[in-house]
Amino acid sequence: MKFDTIIIGGGLSGLISGIYLSQRGLQCVIISSGQSALHFSSGSFDLLNNLPDGTNVQKPLDAISELIKQAPTHPYAKLGENKFKALTQQAEDFFKNIKISIQGNHEENHYRVTPMGTLKPTWLTLKNLLISENGKCLPIQHPGIFNVTGFLDFYSQFITDEFLKMGTKCSIHSINLPALENLRKNPTEMRSVNIARIFDKQENIKELVQILKAESKDCDSIILPAITGLNREDVVDYLRKEINKPIYLLPTLPPSVPGIHTQQKLRSVFQQNGGVYMLGDTVLRAEMKGNRISQIYSFNHGNIPFVGQNFILATGSYFSQGLIANTERVYEPIFDLDVTFTPNRTQWYNSDVFESQPYQSFGVKTDNTFRCMREGKIFENLYATGAILEGFNPLKEGCGAGVSILSAMYIAEQILSK
Amino acid sequence: MKQNEITQSFDVIIIGGGATGAGIARDCSRRGIKTLLLERLDISTGATGRNHGLLHSGARYAVTDKESAEECIKENMILRKIASHCVEETDGLFLSLPEDDLSYQSKFVEACNQAGIRAEIIDPKEALRLEPSANRNIIGAVRVPDGAVDPFRLTASNVMDAKLHGATILTYQEVIKIIREQNRVIGVKVLDHKTNEIKSYYAPVVVNAGGIWGHNIAKLVDININMLPSKGALLIFGHRVNNIVLNRCRKPADADILVPGDTICLIGTTSSKVPFEEIDHMRVTPEEVDVLLREGEKMAPILAQTRILRAYAGVRPLVASDNDPSGRSVSRGIVLLDHATRDGLEGFITITGGKLMTYRLMAEWTTDLICKKLNLSAICTTATEKLPGSRESIEEISKKIISVPLTQRNSTIYRHGDMADRFSENTPLDNSLICECEEVSVGEAKYALNELDVNNLIDLRRRTRIGMGTCQGELCACRAAGLMSDMKKICTNRAKADLTSFLNERWKGMFPIAWGDTLRECEYTAWIYEGVCGLTSSSKK
Amino acid sequence: MNLQQHNISDNNFEQCIKCTICTVYCPVAAVNPNYPGPKQAGPDGERLRLKKFNFYDESLKYCINCKRCEVACPSNVKIGDIIQAARIKYSKKQPKFRDYILANTDLVGTLSTPLAPIVNTTLGLKPVKAILDGVMKIDHRRTFPKYAFGTFESWYKKVAKKQATYPGQVSYFHGCYVNYNNPQLGKDLIKVMNAFNIGVQLLEKEKCCGVALISNGLIKQAKKQARTNINSIRKSVLEKKLPVIATSSTCTFTIRDEYPHLLDIDNADIRENVELATRYIYRLLGQKKTKLNFKTGKKIKVAYHTPCHMEKLGWAYYSIELLKLIPNIELTILDSQCCGIAGTYGFKKENYKTSQDIGEPLFKQIEALDIDYVVTDCETCKWQIEMSTSKQCEHPISILANALE
Repeated sequence: MKFDTIIIGGGLSGLISGIYLSQRGLQCVIISSGQSALHFSSGSFDLLNNLPDGTNVQKPLDAISELIKQAPTHPYAKLGENKFKALTQQAEDFFKNIKISIQGNHEENHYRVTPMGTLKPTWLTLKNLLISENGKCLPIQHPGIFNVTGFLDFYSQFITDEFLKMGTKCSIHSINLPALENLRKNPTEMRSVNIARIFDKQENIKELVQILKAESKDCDSIILPAITGLNREDVVDYLRKEINKPIYLLPTLPPSVPGIHTQQKLRSVFQQNGGVYMLGDTVLRAEMKGNRISQIYSFNHGNIPFVGQNFILATGSYFSQGLIANTERVYEPIFDLDVTFTPNRTQWYNSDVFESQPYQSFGVKTDNTFRCMREGKIFENLYATGAILEGFNPLKEGCGAGVSILSAMYIAEQILSK
Repeated sequence: MKQNEITQSFDVIIIGGGATGAGIARDCSRRGIKTLLLERLDISTGATGRNHGLLHSGARYAVTDKESAEECIKENMILRKIASHCVEETDGLFLSLPEDDLSYQSKFVEACNQAGIRAEIIDPKEALRLEPSANRNIIGAVRVPDGAVDPFRLTASNVMDAKLHGATILTYQEVIKIIREQNRVIGVKVLDHKTNEIKSYYAPVVVNAGGIWGHNIAKLVDININMLPSKGALLIFGHRVNNIVLNRCRKPADADILVPGDTICLIGTTSSKVPFEEIDHMRVTPEEVDVLLREGEKMAPILAQTRILRAYAGVRPLVASDNDPSGRSVSRGIVLLDHATRDGLEGFITITGGKLMTYRLMAEWTTDLICKKLNLSAICTTATEKLPGSRESIEEISKKIISVPLTQRNSTIYRHGDMADRFSENTPLDNSLICECEEVSVGEAKYALNELDVNNLIDLRRRTRIGMGTCQGELCACRAAGLMSDMKKICTNRAKADLTSFLNERWKGMFPIAWGDTLRECEYTAWIYEGVCGLTSSSKK
Repeated sequence: MNLQQHNISDNNFEQCIKCTICTVYCPVAAVNPNYPGPKQAGPDGERLRLKKFNFYDESLKYCINCKRCEVACPSNVKIGDIIQAARIKYSKKQPKFRDYILANTDLVGTLSTPLAPIVNTTLGLKPVKAILDGVMKIDHRRTFPKYAFGTFESWYKKVAKKQATYPGQVSYFHGCYVNYNNPQLGKDLIKVMNAFNIGVQLLEKEKCCGVALISNGLIKQAKKQARTNINSIRKSVLEKKLPVIATSSTCTFTIRDEYPHLLDIDNADIRENVELATRYIYRLLGQKKTKLNFKTGKKIKVAYHTPCHMEKLGWAYYSIELLKLIPNIELTILDSQCCGIAGTYGFKKENYKTSQDIGEPLFKQIEALDIDYVVTDCETCKWQIEMSTSKQCEHPISILANALE
């Protein structure tokens, strides 16, 4: 199988680089070993919330020079200040182009609402999700929070109490209809996605409208858990039109309906542009010629190799086994690339789970164009992007999605400019 | 701190909510004694909840300590009867590996027989047929009546029975002072950690059943008990690799017992002296993890490929005999001290040493002494009366809740015995699972929250196994916290603070073994709680 | 220290980190609340079953073994395998007579083909369907695949000599469907292979691959048939040095990936030499640069449906690439989703609703398209799509054969 670019990993960074390249006429394949972390997305993409030293960041563009000083191997530092700025704008345009509606921009962080009801700074938030511009108050005064009866992954009480601290007084309501009763017979499958499937059906949406109308008389707006919009995007718009009130979604615990919808949307854009997406296959090994990767072999395709000009490694961190840790070391399983980590495993962790965990900053070493290396020698046509990269802490710095998106676009540019 | 003037009087005050304390409360209340049990944290938080959960046959002690062995086998047989829902009758094997001296086996069997323990030498091939996870290279095997016992359930059932017989059980009450009148102890002052109040309770007899912490309790009245904290580390594996307890047939050493317990199995222990300052902060070191794994793999090689869920350590209260201040001759036997005769202080008793297996016997001896002091002649019934949960057969209970989904039904009956039909409303809402790994339903959690003295998520875990499965709370912690706040058991601020401490408590056991899939689980959990939910340690404040 | 370097158990359920992704892609749990879902039935349940066998829940029979959970799983947990293995290990339910009839495609096919016109008419009759429904619990709304008049094997005897004359040779595992219901597909395959100057041989002895026997709990019989097949395949691959190709994605998948772990039949020595015809042809085109001569016919509009086992194999790519070679073809790729039939599953009265509910989104997508054919590699998908939509369904090899000179 011959392709221009072979992308290993089908999550956010793999898909973005794949779309970017295939939009510009390159024949790409994505090989993905299972579904991606977008399935647990909050519905927002963070760019930069904190510097490595813990300083809060409100305007990411202003903080980037300080970040480069503090963390020279940070992916953003490799991009450099100007490229970082240019790419953030490009990323926003990119989403608009492929018709993923977003709120927010790179000038200043806005705030998303967590499933706990608290606010957290972020860069871009998918449409229909509730946000706060200033991090102090919400755009609504008396919302009604409607949860599905028996849905255990959404917490109306937590949200109500947190909102009250910001001057927003919620009323709590519940939703039930026969289709949900049927789902509830199963003790575990009352999950966001299964509920969303119910609310993909027009007859159920109509019933939902009746419930919301009847119960929201004293509410200035309606809040729902993100349990709509799995296969159709117009549900919230339809509800708004029928009820004539602002309607917002809040993220739930996994699986994340907005995240899955985004994943599916990105994948379909990639495929519409001629990309081949191979799900559920694992890349096993690679063959090299000199300092170039020539072809790779996967489990499903056995002795039929993937032959390509360029290779992008977007396999993620530990979760998706882009990185593997054993008692001795942290390694990259496909190419055995150089990985930055501390040898003594006692130094991988902090005993307080909410403190910075060093293991989260381990990753593959790259040069400033994100080319990977083995024993210090650079592979000319192998690039790494996203969570597998070294030098950043996605949670503490609030930059995971930003690193994935920006590094993916940057690599795509490098490949195109060759 | 508020000083609360309200005081209450009892016949006896028991300090310590481990198995022993709970057992004494049960025994006392059944003998008609007005009983108060005080625990500074939750029940079974000390050594009770941090051991193998092995229902010793006594075989392990047969060669070195005949007295302990005899006590064990007697109590073993009693527990099978009175606590059937806390016990699994798995049997045990004592395996000789090629590196072990096979001559120890005959010595071992003879000692067992002398102590009244059925010990039967079986063909290694037969042993492998019975327990396929055992090392294929074993050269000898002895079958003994070991089993598994769940210490959390055992303690909770004792507490439940005590309450049914009128005892008062108060958790999160730390004794800060023992009130004395000349040479008599007459009560205690406690700090109520839930309300931050100081309270006083009075009784003519106060029992110190604080395990290793009893050392400090005794110090409150300037009594020195020569205790030696001995740390024992264990590893919990993700599923049961064995269904029969595996032991090494050699002199007791590190990591020579592998016990199947509920959904998991655990290997232990190590043994090392630790200073008193550390007993509240046990950490498992990489060296201990390595020893446990290396030795564990020898008994059951499959452990090399089995996911480790967590590592933890408990502290054994070893007591040096009074005439040996050096602490060299420690006993694992029961130590019952009447401080009236030992130290001239009336109304104060210390019960310590012993082991989980002999908790009931320790309670019986202690209660006998309490009765003597109170001039009562009631007799002990704890060896014959079944504990709540163990009074009906599994088949009978199963019939009562037959429409609960099968895996859930089996799990709840396993955990709660005949109490399982009390909490099942058996509606789809109540049957929804909070914890999917361990099959804990909303109904079960509600029951625990309403009736089993649960104050926070960690207590809830001890009563139900929420968060004790493969994901270690990743999927269920938030659901449980949400349920607690929905039921108005705690305010949402507390619920969130609870969530952070729950996750930290889980992490404490995970990071010593966080590689491979466990590290993947940790990373994923961090994404969910720190990333998506935005929890931070400052949410505590 | 080199501890726990290979931390993977035989049944790798412990790799599950409870991320819930599998539950998103299970077609059954989405429509049938009686099925516990892949997470509970698979890794979670396995852990409990290892504690005690009585945690086995008969509702695992609702799993259609589509493996979409496995394809989605980011932890490479063999969820579907775990569930199927548990059914074999723990289920105490005896297969019904109905299951026996449905599973024994060979026997029923042998009995039916000589009488095809009668059988086909009879199975279409309302009173017969009522009996099947009432007595056999085979749903009366289900249309039966038509039996052919005469088997593929008997037809092949007439062409065997000519096939042997080609310079290249390959063995063909035709499967029950080609043999009893659609010999034309076999003939089409021979036409396509001959276009490459390759002759087609049959295996010395071929039995039903056993997929229906496995899913109906008839394991002993499945093992027996699997052994026969593997022996024949070995003869072909190892002695005659002829690779084995097939046209059914499910037969291929079963022989390659289900024999070892479900039936305990080792296939490591020949696994790589059993593949789908479309993959074999893709390889040929890559190696020999053989040019195919296509008719200059009229435009053909088709939509490709990826069967579940094709999704699991990851081989839809080859079939799609072949279709793309056809001049004047307008090809739509349907969203990869289950059609709901799952072999004999959808024939059973108790599963009919689940089966049709699963397929509904696919049927809708198909009906919305202006196409001549749906194309797919799986025969049971074909039955389901033809019964549930207004479109005809063809195998990519047949489409290709038709387009060739």
